Amino acid sequence: MKRFLIQRFLQLIPVLIIMTFIVFSLVYVAGDPVALMLPEEATAEDVARVQESLGLNEPFHVQYGIFLMNAVQGDFGQSYRYNQDAMSIVLERLPATFELAAASMIFATLIAIPMGIWSATRRNTFIDLFITGSSVLGKAMPNFWLGIMFILILAVNTQLFPVSGRGTFMHVVLPAITLGTAVAAEMTRLTRSNMIEILQQDFVRTAKAKGVSNGIVTYKHSFRNALIPVVTIMALQTSTLVGGAIVTEQVFAWPGIGQLLVQAVNARDMAIVQAAVFLIAILVIVINLFADILYRLLDPRIKY
Amino acid sequence: MSQQVTPEPVPEPQGPAAPDSMKKHQKKSSFVRWMKLLLKSKTGTVGFLIVMVVFIVGIFSDQIAPFGVNEQNYANMLVPPAWQEGGSSEHFLGTDNLGRDILSRIIYGTTISLLVGIFSVVVAGILGMAAGLFAGYYGGWIDTVTMRMVDAFLSIPNILFILVILTVLNPGIMTLIFAIGVTNWVIYARLIRGEVLSVKEREYVKAARSIGTKNLTIIRRHVLPNVFSTFIVISTLSVATTIILEASLSFLGMGVQPPDVSWGYMLADGRDYLATNWWLATFPGLAITITVLGIIFLGDWLRDVLDPRSQGR
Amino acid sequence: MSNGKELLNVNQLQTHFFTENGAIPSVNGVSFQVNKGELVAIVGESGSGKSVTSLSIMGLVEEPGKIVGGEIMFEDKDLAKYTNKQMRKIRGNDIAMIFQEPLTSLNPVFTIGNQLREAILQHQNVDKATAKKMSIDMLTQVGIPRADKVYSSFPHSLSGGMRQRVMIAMALSCNPKLLIADEPTTALDVTIQAQILELMKDLVKKMDTAIILITHDLGVVAELVDRVIVMYAGQVVEQSDVFSLFKDPKHPYTKGLLDSTPKIQDLNEELISIKGTVPTPANMPDGCKFHPRCPHAMDHCISNEPKLDTLENGREVRCWLYDEEVMADEQSKNGNEQSP
Repeated sequence: MKRFLIQRFLQLIPVLIIMTFIVFSLVYVAGDPVALMLPEEATAEDVARVQESLGLNEPFHVQYGIFLMNAVQGDFGQSYRYNQDAMSIVLERLPATFELAAASMIFATLIAIPMGIWSATRRNTFIDLFITGSSVLGKAMPNFWLGIMFILILAVNTQLFPVSGRGTFMHVVLPAITLGTAVAAEMTRLTRSNMIEILQQDFVRTAKAKGVSNGIVTYKHSFRNALIPVVTIMALQTSTLVGGAIVTEQVFAWPGIGQLLVQAVNARDMAIVQAAVFLIAILVIVINLFADILYRLLDPRIKY
Repeated sequence: MSQQVTPEPVPEPQGPAAPDSMKKHQKKSSFVRWMKLLLKSKTGTVGFLIVMVVFIVGIFSDQIAPFGVNEQNYANMLVPPAWQEGGSSEHFLGTDNLGRDILSRIIYGTTISLLVGIFSVVVAGILGMAAGLFAGYYGGWIDTVTMRMVDAFLSIPNILFILVILTVLNPGIMTLIFAIGVTNWVIYARLIRGEVLSVKEREYVKAARSIGTKNLTIIRRHVLPNVFSTFIVISTLSVATTIILEASLSFLGMGVQPPDVSWGYMLADGRDYLATNWWLATFPGLAITITVLGIIFLGDWLRDVLDPRSQGR
Repeated sequence: MSNGKELLNVNQLQTHFFTENGAIPSVNGVSFQVNKGELVAIVGESGSGKSVTSLSIMGLVEEPGKIVGGEIMFEDKDLAKYTNKQMRKIRGNDIAMIFQEPLTSLNPVFTIGNQLREAILQHQNVDKATAKKMSIDMLTQVGIPRADKVYSSFPHSLSGGMRQRVMIAMALSCNPKLLIADEPTTALDVTIQAQILELMKDLVKKMDTAIILITHDLGVVAELVDRVIVMYAGQVVEQSDVFSLFKDPKHPYTKGLLDSTPKIQDLNEELISIKGTVPTPANMPDGCKFHPRCPHAMDHCISNEPKLDTLENGREVRCWLYDEEVMADEQSKNGNEQSP
């Protein structure tokens, strides 16, 4: 296990270097942030002075080196709009996004796993058809439209839920369902196909031959095996989830990183864009790492 | 193996996965054959019909749309759909806050969705294919660098990358195609590299190499036919996700810019009128959902037909 | 019916698979008996319906398969009419089963002990600690060294032979009256095969358990069983005690099977294989189902289906060659044709 962890961490280094390189070079290409930072009446000397102080006259690779050194320390410079350290602004928004993502994942898991098992054990019945049909529909609906429709029906027309913002439990319900639907759809489909595959395995027949109940056959013998790939799927879906969160936060005016990022992109606030992208990437990578470890713990066949 | 008595209908191998020599004989009947296969699947047929309609609407949007895309009519602002009280048969799906016909705008939006959807998949496909072929075939450091890049791209949600690109380039249709294309290449790169690696190990490829067949010839003859069906399926389903992605970006105000119209953009517009005029935001979303549903149905059917191993997944 | 000795009486069993192309009779009117403590083999090629027969007895035929006719009398209870819930009390308790692939028949994510005690806990009124003791005891009985260590290990850490021993331990843990073993040694190394067969033989003798051995390997049959049932295309074609069957096979199919089994004494002779393959249920021939492959096929066989006839000392055969009327008829016909 120790060796695996070390190996896995070493693998992350090139990924992070390439990721930061891509982000950095895009911003480098984006051109001069100085013009945005200074008041309009600034002279050419002012610009040159600021450029000098920010190290913008250095060649590309030197600038990247400096960027990388700073990034490792979490320093992405100042946001010109907030006049504050960019990373700390992003970190302030992290709890909101985390709350939304976690609620969506819980919703998706609670829906998808029972539905996937249910339709797999009742293959080709009406229930199976209904569940697979719903999951295709869940994948086809863009989440921002789904969110808007929820707002229209459940918030505007019937006033069951607040229209937007963060605060109470009621605030998180609609955004979480909106964001979780696509993930639930994908998870349902994969849980179903995994379960179908496993229900045909020899060891399931062995269990039945022992005379144990259908419940034990389905939930102990089959699901435990089907769970292993589902964990991987959940990890892969965090990336989808974070991407979806950017849009969902916009729909519900949810004060998370996504909303901040969209504002920063519109305002060309590069420090915040870089900090947000870096943080999200790290989080996704860490979650995937956890999934990898969990996968190994669930499957006794993998040895170290 | 006596367990095999359970009679199972064996899926016959069919479709363009067959080698070239076979295709030539069957060219004439292949259209009929495909149609017969299609009609066997209900969802496949529905998907095919939706996609056909979307294509026709997208191509002939100028002829079909009853009004111009930005044709404003201040006398007819916020008219509800025809079946509602106060609706008019002239504007079947109603009008927006500037008196523009919603149906016409959805029809024009179809063209944009298809353009972005298809061309960004083409860009991603070409880039990914090239990367996958070179990485798989030449191995060594080329492979290492490519695959680490794939990992890096996969570790970040693609919408994030695209947002960063969009801060650099001015938003618009071409930018969208480029941005989506250069972030989605990784799917193809992984698929094709994997296939190349397995093909490389096969005896006939080793034999071909040993008699000095050119690398490109080997790739064309042995690798491409093997990945063709997967390539088609992934591409079809990619068009669906790309259409949603385009709509999302346009919804955020970073995709298609006026005077061009996009379903996502219309939705963002309509959100401001949600409390009073529900139809502004409802119909563009419905258009996206139906289109994507059609493409997914078609793609799933294609997968079942082209790759019998994955049936029912 | 029951004479006190009889344990299982399968009577005109019909198991069909319902596919898009209609019902396919995988088991088509199979009848046989197994007495208490008796060792019986069902022999046939793959596709003969022998496995579906055994799964039917266990009530484990999967959709779209279904028992559509006949009865499976087990100690005067008709298992064919039992619900799944009723069958669960029988499975693993009165009737146990061992499968072909020890590799895939054990659940990879649970320990041996977990899977072994499951059957005991299900059918016997004991607590976990007792179940564990019983399981370890059972593992020792099937010849597994350091049974308590194996108890807490996972299947992947055991060899194929060991896993099959575990499967046997699992099957016998509730002292079943009948053990169905579906090709229990096919997946194993030849050197292990004999050991496993020997072990099964010892244990069932000790426990007075009857065995139905499903196999295509006549070598295995000769080593283990008392009586043989030969199946072809969903039907019983011959039934005999093992000694007579090897000495004097009646059905041409049985003869073919015996001829295609290598014997040490005539290694130099060419092996004779039965030409052709088992017909698929979709294009089953009329008349005798074996006639397209039969070296003795007559005109009569093409359109008339033979019945299972009883011969001397309880043997049964489904073949027109043993029908005196038909044979007389055929001979006179041939005689007429050949005479100038």
